[in-house]
Amino acid sequence: MFQSLEWRNEKLSYLAVKICLAVDITLSLKAFRLFFNHEQIRTMSRVKRRTTHPPYWHVLKNNQRTDEKISSDNLRFVQEVIQDKYKNKSPIKGSDLDIEKTEWDPKTKRSGVIARNIGVQHMWEKDGKKVICTVLHVLDNHVIRYVPPEEYAKSVIGAKMFKNRKPLGCLVVGAEASNPERFTRQYCSLFDEVGLLPKKRLARFIVTPNAALPPCTPLTAGHFVIGQAVDVYGKTIDYGFQGVVKRWGFKGGPASHGTTKFHRRGGTIGTGRDKARVWPGQKMPGHMGSERRFNRGLKIVRINMKYNIIYVKGTVPGPTNSIVQIFDTALPRRKFTEAPPHPTYFPPEDGTLPQEDIWDSSLHVFGSPSISV
Amino acid sequence: MLRRAFLQTFRQGLAQSFFKRYAVSLTETTVTHQPIETSDEAGEKSVPTQKTGDESGNTVVVAPPEFRFIYPEFLPDPAMERRNRLREKLERMDMLQRRSVIEIPEFYTGSIMAVTVADANSPNKFAKFVGICIQRGGSGLRAWFILRNVVDKQGVEILYEMYCPLIQKIEVLRLERRLDESLLYLRDALPEYSTFPMDMEPERRLNNSVVPINPLKVKLRPRPWLERWERQNLQGVEDLNLPQRFYDRAEKVAKPWEKYDLMLHYRKTIPAEEQEKIFAEVHSQLQQQELKRKLRRRRGSDNEY
Repeated sequence: MFQSLEWRNEKLSYLAVKICLAVDITLSLKAFRLFFNHEQIRTMSRVKRRTTHPPYWHVLKNNQRTDEKISSDNLRFVQEVIQDKYKNKSPIKGSDLDIEKTEWDPKTKRSGVIARNIGVQHMWEKDGKKVICTVLHVLDNHVIRYVPPEEYAKSVIGAKMFKNRKPLGCLVVGAEASNPERFTRQYCSLFDEVGLLPKKRLARFIVTPNAALPPCTPLTAGHFVIGQAVDVYGKTIDYGFQGVVKRWGFKGGPASHGTTKFHRRGGTIGTGRDKARVWPGQKMPGHMGSERRFNRGLKIVRINMKYNIIYVKGTVPGPTNSIVQIFDTALPRRKFTEAPPHPTYFPPEDGTLPQEDIWDSSLHVFGSPSISV
Repeated sequence: MLRRAFLQTFRQGLAQSFFKRYAVSLTETTVTHQPIETSDEAGEKSVPTQKTGDESGNTVVVAPPEFRFIYPEFLPDPAMERRNRLREKLERMDMLQRRSVIEIPEFYTGSIMAVTVADANSPNKFAKFVGICIQRGGSGLRAWFILRNVVDKQGVEILYEMYCPLIQKIEVLRLERRLDESLLYLRDALPEYSTFPMDMEPERRLNNSVVPINPLKVKLRPRPWLERWERQNLQGVEDLNLPQRFYDRAEKVAKPWEKYDLMLHYRKTIPAEEQEKIFAEVHSQLQQQELKRKLRRRRGSDNEY
């Protein structure tokens, strides 16, 4: 009995991945239609696609207090207290790592990075072909906490994730430091151990124990290697409540020739004979967008170390100026063959500056002479 | 006193340029087609490149106001959803890098240009095309322009991306402006208005300080046309000689209130303060590149003798 439930769960997650990929394909290639599989739609209709509220274990984040009438002296005092509390904490250097630098092996999972999608720039390859590259700005990432595998497997999500697998550790990474007055005391206490200014964004990255990092380690654009493939997670553009034509690609009805009030409607929603009801998962108007998506296998073509910018070939989910997470790719044929900066990149301690702008060999560098075929 | 006067004239110049730029919707004669000063003049003159002092006493470099017409692609796309200052700054740096390799001259719609492109299928690996610029657009590295010519009685239009590394050379053979910002009506005009010899030589201008405006009025072929030209308020076409019902329908369909819609124009443009900042950023590098090119030209002409 127990075994059969597990099998069904696994099949669900497998189907979930398949449906996600299928939905991605239908959204991008509008001409290509998958055949209508009622089984898949019915199982997926029970999976909740998104929630608007955070999980129950999240602490209240934003300060709910209204403007209190504080005198200017007291305000200045508050500023001083903040400055004293969060005085310059020197970032962890490579030589400071407590754990011995463990060897990289192909099964290692490194940390990811939180970045902002700041837009799209066009670049050209060496044969003159134009390429759309997404510009990702790696924010001020710092490791907040490392949760070892045994502890993480006891948590709610950890238990689900590693049900019949060997458990892995979890790195909590924060990005975008901001004024502690904006947040609640409970949220700021998450960063007290580390002594960092509270971060606006937090993310969890699943890592193998040999890629664990101590708290307060900075993560920069140098964490990645030119030419590697990355997966980018983001929440897609929120289109709001959309009709059936935009949301599911229905054709609607004729624009003229006497059509009465049937231009962008769905039409029939059932047969009347089979089951004699509407099947769950019937495509109808509703909320579209703001969903978790991964764009996998995107190649890094350029890294700017000075501004912490990564140029990635292709597009990522989400609108401009939205936050995304970047991981080393999960695609088996595009994984690392040689060791990347493991566990992360640390700037050289002898003060030599790294190369500011690193380009992939396939791209045409703008300062170089024009291409002649 | 002098500084205030300068700022006043500067702002007046900006305001005039602002209205001039969106002259299509304006029917009144606030549209004074004032000749714009060219990049040569702007670079040589010391007065426009003033270092005005602000309150703290530090000198602030201000680029000449003509830069927004000479280098319009440095201004970003005004759509707020897609704007990001850091990305725009990085894009501008890349644009300057490309401009250090190839000279992208000042040109306007109506100028006749020659573009040499690397082409694998050509016999000598380079393809040259001469044509009149009928439209230009895009911002940043996506900036483009369309050249039109009539070759063997066949109209040909080619869209070139200004920063594409396949482009070897962009040459302006005749620098002038027309009465309209977009010359798409040349597609429906008589072919002689779009024909230019492929071996045209660059013309030397007598007066370098001002870009001349060609007041040519083009004759269109009889209907049918590709667009309803009578609805577009074109200055550069001869009288269309259409039946009155066309003009009546154009009046009904027209949106005369758009010229009063300040927010519409605000959303379509970058604010003047931001434009000043952007051009001040790129100004010194562009000037340096111009000077280097001039020295190279002079040295080249000296070596001839």
